[in-house]
Amino acid sequence: MSAFFRLLARNRLALWGGIVLVLVVFLALITPLLPLADPDVTDTANRFLPPFSEGAFLGTDHLGRDLLSRLMWGTRLSLAVGFSAAVAAATIGAAIGIVAGFYGGRTDNVIMRGVDMLMAFPYILLALAIVAALGPGLMNALIAVAAVNVPFFARNIRGITVGIAHKEFVDAARLAGMGNGRIILTEILPNVVPVIVIAMSTTIGWMILETAGLSFLGLGSQPPQADLGSMLGEARSALITNPHTSVVPGVMILVIVMSINLLGDGVRDALDPRLKSGALSRPMPATLVDRRSVPEAGKGDGILALQDLETQFHVKDRVYKAVGGVSLTVHPGECLGIIGESGSGKSVTALSVMSLVASPPGVITGGAVRYKGEDLIGAPYAKLRSLRGDRVAYIFQDPLATLHPLYKVGDQLVEAIGCHHDVSSAEARSRAIDLLKSVRIPNAESRVDSYPHEMSGGMRQRVGIAMALANEPDVIIADEPTTALDVTVQAQILALLDDLRKARGLAIVFITHDFGVVAQLCDRVAVMYAGRIVEEGPTGAVLATPAHPYTKRLIACVPELGEGRRELAAIPGLPPVVDKLPEGCAFAERCHKARNDCRRGNIPLEGPAEEARRVRCLYPENERMAEAVSS
Amino acid sequence: MTGYILKRLLSAIPVLFGITVIVFLIMALIPGDPATAILGSYATPENVEKLNRDLGLDKPLVAQYFIWLGNMLQGDFGQSFALNRPVIDEVLERFNATLILAGTAFVLCSVFGILAGVVSAAKQYGLADKGITFAVLLGISIPSFFLGMMMILIFGVNLRWLPVSGMYAIYGGGDLPDLISHLIMPALALAVVATGVVARLSRSAMLEVLRQDFIRTARAKGVSERGVIWRHALKAAMVSIIPVLGIQAGFVLSGAVYIEMVFQWPGVGRMLVDAILKRDILLVQGGVVFVAACYVLFNILVDVAQSLLDPRIKT
Amino acid sequence: MSAALKLTDLSKTFEVGRTLFGKPKGLVRAVQPVDLTVEQGETLGIVGESGCGKSTLARMLVGLLPVTTGSIEIEGAALDNADPAVFGKRIQYVFQDPISSLNPRKTIRQVMEAPLKNLHGMGKAERDARIREIFDTVSLREEFLERYPHEFSGGQAQRIGIARALAAEARILILDEPVSALDVSVQAQVLNLLARLKEELGLTYLFISHDLAVVEAVSDRVAVLYFGGVVEVGRAEDIFSRPKHPYTKLLADSAPVVGRALRAPEGVDTELPDPLNPPTGCAFRARCPNATERCGREVPKLVEMGEGHRAACFHPVG
Repeated sequence: MSAFFRLLARNRLALWGGIVLVLVVFLALITPLLPLADPDVTDTANRFLPPFSEGAFLGTDHLGRDLLSRLMWGTRLSLAVGFSAAVAAATIGAAIGIVAGFYGGRTDNVIMRGVDMLMAFPYILLALAIVAALGPGLMNALIAVAAVNVPFFARNIRGITVGIAHKEFVDAARLAGMGNGRIILTEILPNVVPVIVIAMSTTIGWMILETAGLSFLGLGSQPPQADLGSMLGEARSALITNPHTSVVPGVMILVIVMSINLLGDGVRDALDPRLKSGALSRPMPATLVDRRSVPEAGKGDGILALQDLETQFHVKDRVYKAVGGVSLTVHPGECLGIIGESGSGKSVTALSVMSLVASPPGVITGGAVRYKGEDLIGAPYAKLRSLRGDRVAYIFQDPLATLHPLYKVGDQLVEAIGCHHDVSSAEARSRAIDLLKSVRIPNAESRVDSYPHEMSGGMRQRVGIAMALANEPDVIIADEPTTALDVTVQAQILALLDDLRKARGLAIVFITHDFGVVAQLCDRVAVMYAGRIVEEGPTGAVLATPAHPYTKRLIACVPELGEGRRELAAIPGLPPVVDKLPEGCAFAERCHKARNDCRRGNIPLEGPAEEARRVRCLYPENERMAEAVSS
Repeated sequence: MTGYILKRLLSAIPVLFGITVIVFLIMALIPGDPATAILGSYATPENVEKLNRDLGLDKPLVAQYFIWLGNMLQGDFGQSFALNRPVIDEVLERFNATLILAGTAFVLCSVFGILAGVVSAAKQYGLADKGITFAVLLGISIPSFFLGMMMILIFGVNLRWLPVSGMYAIYGGGDLPDLISHLIMPALALAVVATGVVARLSRSAMLEVLRQDFIRTARAKGVSERGVIWRHALKAAMVSIIPVLGIQAGFVLSGAVYIEMVFQWPGVGRMLVDAILKRDILLVQGGVVFVAACYVLFNILVDVAQSLLDPRIKT
Repeated sequence: MSAALKLTDLSKTFEVGRTLFGKPKGLVRAVQPVDLTVEQGETLGIVGESGCGKSTLARMLVGLLPVTTGSIEIEGAALDNADPAVFGKRIQYVFQDPISSLNPRKTIRQVMEAPLKNLHGMGKAERDARIREIFDTVSLREEFLERYPHEFSGGQAQRIGIARALAAEARILILDEPVSALDVSVQAQVLNLLARLKEELGLTYLFISHDLAVVEAVSDRVAVLYFGGVVEVGRAEDIFSRPKHPYTKLLADSAPVVGRALRAPEGVDTELPDPLNPPTGCAFRARCPNATERCGREVPKLVEMGEGHRAACFHPVG
């Protein structure tokens, strides 16, 4: 709760809105105590007095009534009516929405048909019909405004409730012995209340406008009673001769509604959990770069080389070191695997290569990425764009989310080609069909006109691969491309990738969490833990004789088929959070071999000079590596 | 596609039916005797009784409903007492004027709302975004009738740029330029709120879409930033913007009632308010049913547009 | 010894889409008629790929989905969830997504108290003592009780989910992909905890997973599901090493294994049949190397093929 108010106060506009609103509400509350003239007493001798007149600070209206007094009393009335209408509409609407959303089926159908029926009216028609039936009057206007807003709340809350009612915790509550009534009260309602509050805070201003509108039309408050709308309505005939009688109530409505809207936006933002994580920001075309220095170009012959790459996430005052100095090289025709558990920084490393890490909050804070020797970090956007998809292409994890849902797959392939090559549309289309054939999609000629949702997961991932191949790139970065797929489909996709690599001499960087996949596909492997590489080397050697205790124990954790029922090895504890990395070895906390010197200083990634293996450990598991490290 | 349109048209029938029931029921709530209300409290009992018979009010409620419905289906919406002419003639004439006003405002709010939303999202936290956000906030907070009055004061009375009321000049008007000059202020005043709402929603829909994985895919392909925003993001965002345009059409139609009052525009909204104040019940009933039916048909168009955009909607 | 769970002819059909007149456009058979028995104290593993109906099956067993045909017996009595306060004591469920199975607006203590209060009617002091006991059993720290779900990692949240299931004191647990959302190093922790609890408390498990190696490591017997039907049942130690059904063999050959060369185990790139338009005969025949004309005519039934080993195939492998 206090966090909510802190967030709210941080939003300066919302704070101002809140202050103004509190002031207006306070004045409205104490109006009866103020030494004001009677708002309803007419004094035709003193009609249309201008503002700042003697005895009438804001002047008088067409009947000589004191405008200041009418304004205060009118504000009081308008606020009360608008607020009551909002509360009534929200309560009734939310109740209807929760019942419909929770029970579903026939109940839902009947209720929502009724709501749809009410929403089929432009809302004012319904309000007018209600006022026509009940007769003009402030109370009836309130009923009309509340009634026309009930369907909006009902529909909104129903949507939220349906989402929550299908969550697993509701099933769990049912199995914990709770009945429907209890589930609604203790499981659904607490999760819906914030949405109701948001909906109310954003519509209350609207309700005040609406009631003012009905009064303006002469259908709300009846003379001599003043509310802001009727004041405006009465002033309209004197608009040209005495505009101040219109301006005074009009500006007041504007001030009230604006302050409510400002505050409402603040409330909405403060209650939205995504704002805290910075997830509401729009990602920029390229990741922000904030490097102090650029490393010297290495002498390696790799087509793509990462040097001490550092990528961080800056969320509020916290710094998450997702990638903490990663160096890697890939050669043409080689497949390099990067393996690690969730949060190890493997995907962020992959995305950093082409500056595709979402920023904010991502920032590349150090190191270099060299494609054919040229540094891409901080390169001009035009340069990056010309390489993206042309020389370095990506394959992402979930093919349903990564293809555009509204374009045919053929058009998406054509676009991939068209971004980098000036080709005719007929030519591009035939290229697209060839690409689909090359990833073994049956009936490519007809599949080219399919939308992604019409394909199975495996087929979509083939399209993803075809798109990566579109411009015959030198490097393909595959970020867990088979994780979302079933094993039998995964086997097909992996075989396809391997064939393509061999046929085209592609360099592949393959990100995964699966040792089986790495073993089958990759020539070399780098193991990541807490944002750093802890071990690197030829796949066979690393898997057969892991040198880092983490690698060794992680491999032991993976159950293998054919070993029957057994106790599994486990690593106690959890990986460290990357905004609070310990000094020394990040794995020391969970390592059975850790000694005091493991928790100090920077432990380098090193290995024997004659071998391509390196390990970041003072006490490696493997003897040859141990010798190399200690020397 | 034809199948889908047909299906949507068929599914509108129960909605239209429901609308007539709701309107009828609300009108049945009117306390007292409608004939007395129509004829005034000085009417003779014989006259009241005759009128009741003429209106079919001596029959049970259900029968009254079906008589009313049957007449409407034949195009007979009854006779307006206050105006002494057929309801349908009056409604059609007035609706034409409303359509010109609301249609113009709807086009304005759709175009400028979406444009402002996209620009605002593309330049998030930039100067343009801040300016648009503030303007939008002002737009959705100002009562349209107050805005209209201020426009009259400034552009009509003080600057004398534009006519302040009516649809055509009383003398020598009637052509298109005359209509446009009368239309500018009311259409703008009417469009402001809706533009604000559309802009706000377009901005948040764009921001939502820009975080999606397929946007990252587009960037990884090397699509230019302009292509990412206008081709990839806006198309996907339109899926959530179009339904809001449908709802906004209802808001524009509703707001037209106020604007018609302020600018003396001879539309259906002003007609309804006058009819309510004069207790001209048949005119209210007929007007509400007619406008609501048009709105239902418009929403079918919105649904069709949505299904053209989004192939995932089964046609 | 009576069976803990006995499913007879159990099936589930979903209606897909609706025409204008409210009639379903199509019927999808998510679970074909299934007969299965889980003995007391046994762990029965169920494997299959996405869309094979394994979660639908599990949700029917705990009364979260109504059955279309057939019956479920829990410890000899027919499933009856009319009174949730009684039903929850007989069978419990551990969910796949540990975080979303906890109400984000409740503290862990509130989550843990629900089954104790509603199923066992315990008083405050009694509940506190019991929660302490359960937390001790699953190695969770008591200070976690006052925190909210978002403060936990997946592994911790899954322990809490298990603790909640234990609080009901049901002797049968349905474990629906309990470790598939977890990293390997944490997955092993949770699997070992489950194994220990079973031993100590004499539980019966129905363990659902898509990961063959995990299922093999925890189960006594395994049932393989394809396209909503059981195609093979056998002892965990030999069902994957000596599969009878060609689909089981395909699954076993597809799992990436260290030290095995990469090749697509299927010559052709085929996928699941269309559920709206199911094939005649054996659902697997389009992908099956041994398929004959008979497979298109008849639906194979589960038949005995060795000790405790049954498969639904006319042309079994090996």
